[in-house]
Amino acid sequence: MEALDLTKRPKSKLALKPEWADVCFTCGTCASGCPVTGVDGWDPRKAVRAALLGLEQELVDSRWPWICTICGRCEYMCPQGVNLMALIRYARTLRERDKVPGVLHKGVAMCLERGNNLGIPETDYLFLLADLSKEMEEGTVETEHGEEYPPYPGFYCPVDKEGANIIVTINSKEPMGEPEDMMFWWRIFYAAKESWTVPKQNWEGVLWGLFTGDDDALKEQCRRIIENARKVGAKTILYPE
Amino acid sequence: MSVFELLKEYIETGRIKLDKSKYEGKKITIHDPCNYHRKSFMSFGQHFLDECRWVTAQCCPEIVEMEPHGMNGLCCGAGGGAWASPYVQERIDYGKWKADQIKATGTDLICAPCHNCRDQIMKSLTKEFDIPQRTYYIWELVSDCVIMEPWSEEEVKKSHEERDKQYERDDIDLDEEY
Repeated sequence: MEALDLTKRPKSKLALKPEWADVCFTCGTCASGCPVTGVDGWDPRKAVRAALLGLEQELVDSRWPWICTICGRCEYMCPQGVNLMALIRYARTLRERDKVPGVLHKGVAMCLERGNNLGIPETDYLFLLADLSKEMEEGTVETEHGEEYPPYPGFYCPVDKEGANIIVTINSKEPMGEPEDMMFWWRIFYAAKESWTVPKQNWEGVLWGLFTGDDDALKEQCRRIIENARKVGAKTILYPE
Repeated sequence: MSVFELLKEYIETGRIKLDKSKYEGKKITIHDPCNYHRKSFMSFGQHFLDECRWVTAQCCPEIVEMEPHGMNGLCCGAGGGAWASPYVQERIDYGKWKADQIKATGTDLICAPCHNCRDQIMKSLTKEFDIPQRTYYIWELVSDCVIMEPWSEEEVKKSHEERDKQYERDDIDLDEEY
């Protein structure tokens, strides 16, 4: 292995700010507390060293920034205040988009194009909400664990309701695979007599741009959530993610 | 607004009433999602650890903590997109930390106040590591304890009018074969 000449250290693409790497004292507190220290030979301290010493491409090309869950324990305990989460997330940003592991980037692209990560069409979504509402009102809900629920007279799921107090985002896994789980909140809203609504379009609450290091996508997804709230005049966004 | 603040407000102001007998005699442990607590605190100076425990205790007062928990709590192993990532074995290995913590509490129930953490614990770790407890969203606990009082005829009528208007706007016809 060739020794690094630190006097000719190239400018790092990853250590963008001093607090991302330069300020590190290499104490190893981060690595000691990290549940994925040692996986593929990496740990948070090594990631910081790689960023500082011009070896960032090795980190970017490795699986490690994606096995790390960016839980933030390392940063919370770091005595030097190294911004480890920003650093690791940016290592994900530097990954070419077609090399982002698994479905995450596909979900981001789908969400930007069709308003939710799974590409559920608007008509299916609206019909599902109406159908579930009817089941809940009539008390004919079938649940996974066999619970029985009474009828909820007058219940329906408001969509883009003008002047609603609370607008709620939706996790696309629920309409797709666990629709009855949406009723947990619906039953609470019914009892509280809340004035609430869900968005008609762009209702996704799971913003994968956060995970893929895609700031432009994330910004657009957040903009849509706020736009939906403004459109109906909702004072509060409930974001159950 | 966070789910904890809203649930606490509903309970505190009496807008919803809870049937406390639902989980009587049961013990519960709480998983603290990184985003709601540690990362929210580091980004915005606010965590919801106390609100989360207060709301949980309204449904099931006997809370047994995992160690470590709170600001130093361990991730479920599926955060940061790992639930949807192809590195499945790595996600499960990571989750073993959480599974061991959960089992050590010896409780009957687990409160997981986040979609992602709940899926990892309930759908993956439970079967991988034989976790005996059942996992609940915090809003599921509250929802299961809420005392249902049917609306008045007038309220039902008003709601039906609003519903019909919405369905007409969105072209929804439930009688139509779909």
